[in-house]
Amino acid sequence: MKMLIYGLITGVLFGFLLQRARVIRYDKQLAALRLKDMTIVKFMLSAVMVAMVGVYLLVDLGVVKLAIKTLSLGAVVIGGLVFGVGWALLGYCPGTSLGALGEGRLDALAGIVGMLAGAALYAEAYPALQKTVLTWGNYGKITLPQLLGVNHWVVIAVFVVGGVGFLRWLEKKGL
Amino acid sequence: MNHAEPRPWNPYLAGALSGLLIIASVVLADKYLGASTTFVRSAGMIEQLFAPDKVAKMAYFLKEKAIVDWQWMFVLGIFIGSLISALTSKSFRLQTVPDSWQERFGPALGKRWATAFVGGVVAMFGARLADG
Repeated sequence: MKMLIYGLITGVLFGFLLQRARVIRYDKQLAALRLKDMTIVKFMLSAVMVAMVGVYLLVDLGVVKLAIKTLSLGAVVIGGLVFGVGWALLGYCPGTSLGALGEGRLDALAGIVGMLAGAALYAEAYPALQKTVLTWGNYGKITLPQLLGVNHWVVIAVFVVGGVGFLRWLEKKGL
Repeated sequence: MNHAEPRPWNPYLAGALSGLLIIASVVLADKYLGASTTFVRSAGMIEQLFAPDKVAKMAYFLKEKAIVDWQWMFVLGIFIGSLISALTSKSFRLQTVPDSWQERFGPALGKRWATAFVGGVVAMFGARLADG
């Protein structure tokens, strides 16, 4: 029960931030995919950089632990490409579709029903995928620092410096 | 557009605050943010109404059970949080077809909703394949 309340509160705060930054709209999501307005990229990259530094700091202090997912190149590459096609058609991602509905965008409803159907379809296909795509290039639960054999702060430093440089470049280009 | 809407928050500020929210969630609840598993659980709940025996045997629904969990409430919260934010900032607007879609493809509801539905099916299949 406590976990459910944590989930709800976290969601309300996140939905509030997403709406105030105007990043859950179809127009904004499509503009990002067409490289015309990078507001969403600015939002996401800022969140990733802050969370990356904070979470790893707390991992080093032994306060929290990472939840590492299995790297299957077949699943990530094919899944990512398929997701991109769907995202461009829908104009909302799974989480933001609920936020879009919250600010009155009713077309998100069609997307939500579609995503429920897509999830049901995936559940049907899962046994076959388990024997094929999911086994392709499977490296198990691994992180980038482990793969490169370097300290995680090296990867974080490169990511943050590169990320800030990229964002400054976007600002200079007026995106 | 003739509707005056307050200026959006700075995306760097809102993004950084989201980053802090992620850190707080990991510390307090040991949970990283995600949304797409919730669609699997919800699809399982709906299918259960019609074919409970089938759902009980499906490998993917055994892996991602048809229950309301932390993430399910998180996704519900996104809807509520966005609704609160929109209503308190004069930016709530009931709309059946997005502005930029209408400029490009016209106001027809069927075309937009059919595309959104198909896009939803494809996006969720891809998201689940890539594991969220």
